Amino acid sequence: MRERSFVASRILIYLVVLLIAAAWLAPLAVVVLNSLRSNEEIAQGSMIGWPQHWAWSNYLTAWSGFCVAETCAGIRPYMLNSALVTIPATIFSTLLGAIAGYAVSLWRFRGDTWIYGIVTLGLFLPQQMRLLPWTIVLRDIGLINTLAGLVLIHTIQGLSFTTLFCRNYYVAIPHELIRAARIDGAGFFRIFWRIILPLSPPILVVTVIWQFTHIWNEFLYGVTFTSGQQQPVTAALIALSAAVADIPQHGVQSAAVIIAALPTLLIYLLGGKYFVRGLTAGAVK
Amino acid sequence: MPITTTRRRLLAGSAAALALPAFARAQGAVKPRLTAISQWSAGSDGAAITALGKKFEEKGGVWQHSPVPGFTTEMMNKLRAQIMAGDPPACSQLKGPEIAAWSKIAPTVDLDAVVAAAGYEKVVAPDLAKLHKPAGKWIALPLQIYSTNMLFLSKRAMDKAKADKIPVTWADFNDLAEKMKAGGVASPIANGGTRPDDGQKFEAALAGISPLAYRAAIMNLEKKALEGPEIKAAFAQVRKIADWMDPNVGAQHFSTNLKRFVDGNMGMMIMGGWAQGVLRNAGFKFEDFLIAPGPSDNGKPVFLLNADAFIFWQRKEADLQAGQTLMAQLVMDPAIQTMYSQITGSIPVRTDVDLSGEGWSEGQRTTSAALKSAIASNQALLSMAHNMAQENGMTAAMIDVITEYVKDKTIKPGQAATRLAEAVEGAR
Repeated sequence: MRERSFVASRILIYLVVLLIAAAWLAPLAVVVLNSLRSNEEIAQGSMIGWPQHWAWSNYLTAWSGFCVAETCAGIRPYMLNSALVTIPATIFSTLLGAIAGYAVSLWRFRGDTWIYGIVTLGLFLPQQMRLLPWTIVLRDIGLINTLAGLVLIHTIQGLSFTTLFCRNYYVAIPHELIRAARIDGAGFFRIFWRIILPLSPPILVVTVIWQFTHIWNEFLYGVTFTSGQQQPVTAALIALSAAVADIPQHGVQSAAVIIAALPTLLIYLLGGKYFVRGLTAGAVK
Repeated sequence: MPITTTRRRLLAGSAAALALPAFARAQGAVKPRLTAISQWSAGSDGAAITALGKKFEEKGGVWQHSPVPGFTTEMMNKLRAQIMAGDPPACSQLKGPEIAAWSKIAPTVDLDAVVAAAGYEKVVAPDLAKLHKPAGKWIALPLQIYSTNMLFLSKRAMDKAKADKIPVTWADFNDLAEKMKAGGVASPIANGGTRPDDGQKFEAALAGISPLAYRAAIMNLEKKALEGPEIKAAFAQVRKIADWMDPNVGAQHFSTNLKRFVDGNMGMMIMGGWAQGVLRNAGFKFEDFLIAPGPSDNGKPVFLLNADAFIFWQRKEADLQAGQTLMAQLVMDPAIQTMYSQITGSIPVRTDVDLSGEGWSEGQRTTSAALKSAIASNQALLSMAHNMAQENGMTAAMIDVITEYVKDKTIKPGQAATRLAEAVEGAR
């Protein structure tokens, strides 16, 4: 009797979980199906439907065919731009965040909580509010309309998040460890490289995933501070979809969205296991 | 939105005065070059501006266009950044009252001489001309026109209603909608669910009921007109329209329902002239639908103007100045306007372009005739829903009220009218 009720509750749990999964995956399914339907098929039928003819050409058009004004090179060059911004900005912001988090958590000094507070305050500032200050900064250092300017923006803005996360992770490291190393004569950076960094992979994975996703998906700064062929992939995607006075190219759009999402998806698949582990590492202690 | 200070205006004014002689000198033997930013990056808009660029190059110019993907906000962010960086584009897309607002932020080029040489002023709708010379001098040029209150009728829905007459007044329109409903058309009014879509229904209603009240209330923001009976009547008409719409359409692009419209499950659509191109690109035929000017109670067409334009920013470089002159000449050229409108499905700004030839659709001819007639009877008005009548902030305040009214059927027309007047007061 008890056995049977156990099985019944199991089935119920699976059913509920499957239902929730289906609800979450439905939009993705629509995008995947539409990426394989021709524009005409979607316009003449409905947004939701099974492809009648498999329009694989959507992927080719999305990758190297569609035009953004005078340039007809598809999503490809913009993917490269996004990589050129996202990879360095992710590395720099993660590394600097780790150093800053380490400094405010393990090297107590006068005003450290204030500095920490001010840095994390950056998380609460709306993007739009920072647009004008960044314009002035980029103008004055001559980086407006360059990818380097975007790297700088994302590195600095990322610091709020990376510092917060690394600091919360590092406060759990026993102070004795640091003290012992200092007695042995190790300085700030030697301790960081030799002790802190080897202990950090779980939290670094979290910040890398987070930063990579955010920077890759960012649109406002990308479109404001670059022009023409320098623009990131989000700009190209919006260019493909923002025509009010045109029939939306759902097929090509869907294919482009899927291609553009692949790098972030890959990062999640590779690092997802560590993501939750890193997030909860500090919490358990 | 741009906040302008008197100091800035002073600076802009003096910079303009200093730069004038430089502009006059610039007509020498340099190779014209043009830096331009616009939001036209894809589809027919992208194709049209690319074609314009080719013409610019054919005339010996260097064309440097940077599309800013997205909508007006993104374009303006980019423009603001470029102006602040001291590197404004030689010309940029900008339309409606934003032209006046932005002209106070940075110095613009005086185009009066080029416009006079082209004899342009005589062939442009007066209200439109006013927008492009906010301080009495031409600083921007309109490029193409759409009417936002065209009436699209589904042939199959007409058959179901056993009707063949195109409605002229709102009474005709309501009659036809009733007949469609009785004939089995599920939603006599085709709708999307975006904010401009709702705004278009209101502006079409008010302008059709009284063009005078529209001009006074929406374009001139006169308090008396805003509280007048016409506004209430317009809201009452919008309620009828809303009752005939499919309530299950969320915030969707109007094109999502084109199939239902053509099939006769939706009957009539109030949309900009661009819907012709959208219908055609979706694979539908002109036999599937009819197109006419929106309902007008006095029988003469009312034309709600939506015009894209370029504003020209002052640059010191001689080649950019020459490029600006060349661009201005091209934009005003009847042949270029013909080429541009034939790609996008709009109509030319010049009222003297002949649309009888090949390459023009029946819908474009109807639109152009409606514009001419509307100008003659002083019924060519500026669209509110598409940011032509007011600056963005004011438009947003008005559309908030309209959209809420369309979606919430417990609000009475009288209440909506009061709310609209209050919203305008608040946004002033």
